[in-house]
Parts: sequence; C-alpha cells; structure tokens
Amino acid sequence: MTMVENPTGPAAAAGSGDGAPSSEGSTVMADLRSHLRKSKAGIAGIVICSLFALVAIVGPWLPFIKDPAQQSLRDKLTPPVGWGGTWAHPLGTDQLGRDILARLIDGARISLLVSVAAVVIAAVLGTALGLIAGYIGGRLDTLIISAADVQMAFPGVLAGLILVAAFGPSVWLVIIVIAISSWMVFTRVGRGLVFTLKTSLFVEASELAGATSRRIMWRHLLPNLVSSLITLSVLELAAAILSESAFAFLGFGVQPPRSSWGLMIQQGRNYITDGWWIVTFAGMAIAIVVLGVNLLSLWLQSFNDVAEREQIILDRPGG
Amino acid sequence: MLRWLARRIIAAALVVFVVTSLVFLVTHVFTDPATVSLPLEATEEHRANRRAVLGLDRPLSVQYWDFVSGLVVGDLGESFWQSQPANKLVLERLPATLKLVAGATAVTVLLAAPMGMLAAWWERRFPDHAVLGFSMASISAPPFWIGYLLIIVFAVQLGWVPTFGSQGFVSLILPSFAIGLASAGRLAQMTRRGIVEELRKPYAVTALSRGFSRSYTIVHHTFRNVASGFVTMTGWELTRMFTGYTVVIEVVFAWPGVGRLAIHAIENRDLILVQAAVVVLATLVVVTNLLVDVARRLIDPRVELG
Repeated sequence: MTMVENPTGPAAAAGSGDGAPSSEGSTVMADLRSHLRKSKAGIAGIVICSLFALVAIVGPWLPFIKDPAQQSLRDKLTPPVGWGGTWAHPLGTDQLGRDILARLIDGARISLLVSVAAVVIAAVLGTALGLIAGYIGGRLDTLIISAADVQMAFPGVLAGLILVAAFGPSVWLVIIVIAISSWMVFTRVGRGLVFTLKTSLFVEASELAGATSRRIMWRHLLPNLVSSLITLSVLELAAAILSESAFAFLGFGVQPPRSSWGLMIQQGRNYITDGWWIVTFAGMAIAIVVLGVNLLSLWLQSFNDVAEREQIILDRPGG
Repeated sequence: MLRWLARRIIAAALVVFVVTSLVFLVTHVFTDPATVSLPLEATEEHRANRRAVLGLDRPLSVQYWDFVSGLVVGDLGESFWQSQPANKLVLERLPATLKLVAGATAVTVLLAAPMGMLAAWWERRFPDHAVLGFSMASISAPPFWIGYLLIIVFAVQLGWVPTFGSQGFVSLILPSFAIGLASAGRLAQMTRRGIVEELRKPYAVTALSRGFSRSYTIVHHTFRNVASGFVTMTGWELTRMFTGYTVVIEVVFAWPGVGRLAIHAIENRDLILVQAAVVVLATLVVVTNLLVDVARRLIDPRVELG
C-alpha cells in the first residue's frame, strides 16, 4: 500500500496503489455525488454528455428515425416544424431532401468517435512521456519538454494542413492531427505533478524497497495522476470536438456520403438563404455537446483543487 | 535585458528551424511534391519526369540544404499551380490575414476587458453570471458556425453588411466578431478571476477601506496588476487566431488571406505552396510568442528572466 498525503481530493483514493480498499472508493463516489447535488452546472454537463453519448451509440436503432442517406428531391429544403414544416421532418431536410435530424444523429457517431479516440491517444502518449520526463529526468526530460515546446509553437491546424496536403483527407489523419496537437498538455501537467510527488515519502520508500522505475511510475505515480488527467481529458475533449468539426468543415475528415456535423455545415453553407436550418442545427449540435463537456469539466475542476486547476480551462494556448 | 532578449531570439529561431525541418520531413521524405501534384493513375515514368523537373531526383541532403538556404533568404520554392514564387503568393495574402487578426484582437480586447471588470465589480451577482454565460456559450460554439449565424442574421436577414469578400472596413466586422467572441469569452473570465483575486489582497482592501469606490479601485489599482496576464493571454489568443480561427473563418467569409490560399493550394495539389503558407504562419506564431514575452517584461518588470 502506498501512503498518500492529501486526503481531500479524489487523488487520495485513486492513489492507493495496489488495490484500494472498497470503503475508500465508495467515499469518493459519495463525495462526488454530494458535490454534484450542489452543482447545477455539473448536472447539466452530465445530462448533456450522457444524452449525446447514448444517441451516438444507439442512434440507428432509435424508433421514428429516418434513414440518414435517403434522398427525396421532392422534399428538398423542407423547413423545420414551426417554420412551415411538418413532423415528417422535425428539423427539416437538406438540399437533397435528406432528414436533418437523422443526419445529425448519424453524424454524432463519427464526430464523437473521432474526438474521443484522439483524446485517448493524446492522453496515453502524453502521460507516458510526462511520467518519463518527470521521473527519469535528465537528458530525456530536456528532450521531451523541448518537443512539447516546439509542439506549442506548431499547433494542430498547421500540422493538419501540411499532412492533408501530403496524404489526402481521411478520418485517421484527423484523429492523429488532433492527438498530436494535444499530447503536450498531458505531458506538461503529468510532468509537473510527478515533480511534486517524486520527493514524497511513499515514492522514496518504494525506491528504498528496491522497486524498479517502471513499477514506481506505473503502480505508484500514475494512480496519483489519474484524477487530474481525467479532468484534463474532459477539457481536451471539448477542444477536440471543436477541432474535429473544423477539420470536417474544411473537408479534411470524413468524406461524403458519410456525414459528420462539420461536414453538414460545409454542405449546407450554399443554402443559407433558402435553407438556414441545415447550418444552424448542425452547428447547434456541436455547440451543445461542447457546452456539455465544458460544464462537466468546470464541475470536475471545482471538485479538484480549485485554485490550482481553474487556470487550466481558459488559459491554455494553442489549438 | 539585452542578453535575455538575445537568448529568446535564438531560441525562437531554433523553434522555427525545427518546425520547418519537420515540414520538410513530411513534404519531401514521406512523400514528395511531384507525387502529390500528379493524379493517382499517373505512370511511374511520368512521375520520374516530374521529379526531375522539380529537382526532386537529387539526394535528400542536397534538397534539404537547398530548402534551408532558401528559407534564410526567404525563397520558399515555386508554386506549380500558379507558376509563381510561393513566398510572393503568400506575402501578397498576408496583409489580409493580418487585418483580420487585428480586427479580431480589437473585438477581443474591447469586449473582454470591460466584461471582466463588470463581472468582478458585481461578483456573484447578475452581471457576473451573465458574463460567465457569455463566456461558456462563446467558447463552446464553433467559430465558423458563429460566422454563418452572423451572416444569416446581419447579412441575409437584416442586410446591414455584405455577406462575403473584403470590401473595406465594413466587411471586416463580421469575421472579426466570429473570431474574436471565443477569445473574448476566455479573456473575460481570466480578467474577472485576476481582479477578484487582487481585490482580496491587502493593498486593494486598504484602498477600499480608505473610501475609494470599488469601480475606481478596479480600474486604477487591480487592473494594472492583471495587465501583464492580460497581455500574455491576448498573445496566446493571437497564436490561436493565426493558426486555427483565421483558416476556417477565411473560408467562411471568402476572405483573401493566407489560410484560404492554403486550402486552395491543397485543392490544387500544390504541396510547395501549402508548405510555404504553413512555414509563414508557424513563423508568425513564434514571432508573436516572442513579442508577448517582451511586452510582458516591459509591462511588469517582476516577470522573471527566463
């Protein structure tokens, strides 16, 4: 068992290296719940996020939802309900007569999948590098942190431009581009936390007990980073969804006939005079889900160390 | 200060060097401009021909040396889509992008500073909540969507401003807001937080207890101490604008800037031109970061020499 100095945050429970006792785990959950009850933003964030996640997962099996690919030129550019439309197409249809609601649900899948995949890759890679840089230190640290600095100066969209120009558009490329524009955030935060943990008693104790560096990083340091890294991941997810939509809008990601929210805006932009609803609803979907993720992240940050981490959400440079 | 500046400039030049080398790696080692420029069904002979014309059949080290020495004198190769020097094409478009970024920065600063002060003035009261609401909404909405909403409302429905293009000052307004709103949202929260923190410090408490009004203390005492953070943040927002927002917003508003040039170059399979645009934008980011550091030092001498 490892010793943890800070009993307040969820880091405390997460930090108990080899199998935390269940009681400790449940207090954290209880803490989270009581904290959630007090936070309207947290509730709203969780509701929005789970709703969108659910829609993305079960989308095609929802009742009353039309086929997103089915065209009907007779029904093209039908306005939404309330603007002269009917319940046959609640949010109207696009220039090819396809149902907007069905396309939004279909697009949720690709938009969210790409963003989540990118953040997971960035978090795993960035955290691993942060652990190594912070714990091993020395030249490796210098190398990793310089790479992170260069990455800061070479944000995602520029990397995206050059990679798309070189290899052509694809979903995988978008995932990679978003991941490489986000890993250094995890590296910097992880490294910073490791620096403070490195000198603590439980790390020194395991060093004296002869634990290998790998074991210390994996079993003792990593669990202590988990709560901060989850908070950070949620924050990065908001940025990733926005980036994905921008790349899709520029035509770098999914190609038609697949749909994603950003691509819907790109396709609807020539119809803003006689079909404002295409662009409006697609963008609204992006904005609402990002708002949900931002609210969730705000709540997670208030739960973590407020003064220290409040900084992160709004003050980070780069894409 | 001078030694510090010299060190910073060298570090910045190094970053530019590394970034451009990475770009070269992608454009000349992983693939090459000739392959990209030809359709997939082109014959190998055709490709070899094109490589020879562009000098891509020479050893990579020679090409790299050419590339680097070209960079030093500002030669970024020749665009084969437009058959003109790439740096000339990019530099022609640069003023439009800079104009757009300047407009967006003006929107950002003019909205963020007063909103942050108002929110801090009425901390935890209605204006504070309203500003927080604005911030959350503006950072959650994709900038290009804000652009289309602005077009739908102000250009299509109300007809106050032209929809696309760049005809003088009026057409700068909508794109500047589309870019600047999100930055203003972030900056307003940062300003509010900074001022609220400062207001709890002894000097501010003293000022308040001596009878200075809350508004006077905020404007004349605390905002000064927040200013250096404000400048740093504005600089970060500038780099975001150069590298992300302008590209999409230029596409939305058909704005003749570097970002839209890059997108057109991609559509025309002109790798050299894309490379030139990316190198110029990345350099702008590095230069902006450098200027921000200098500005911060000048505003707040307490900033450490790093």
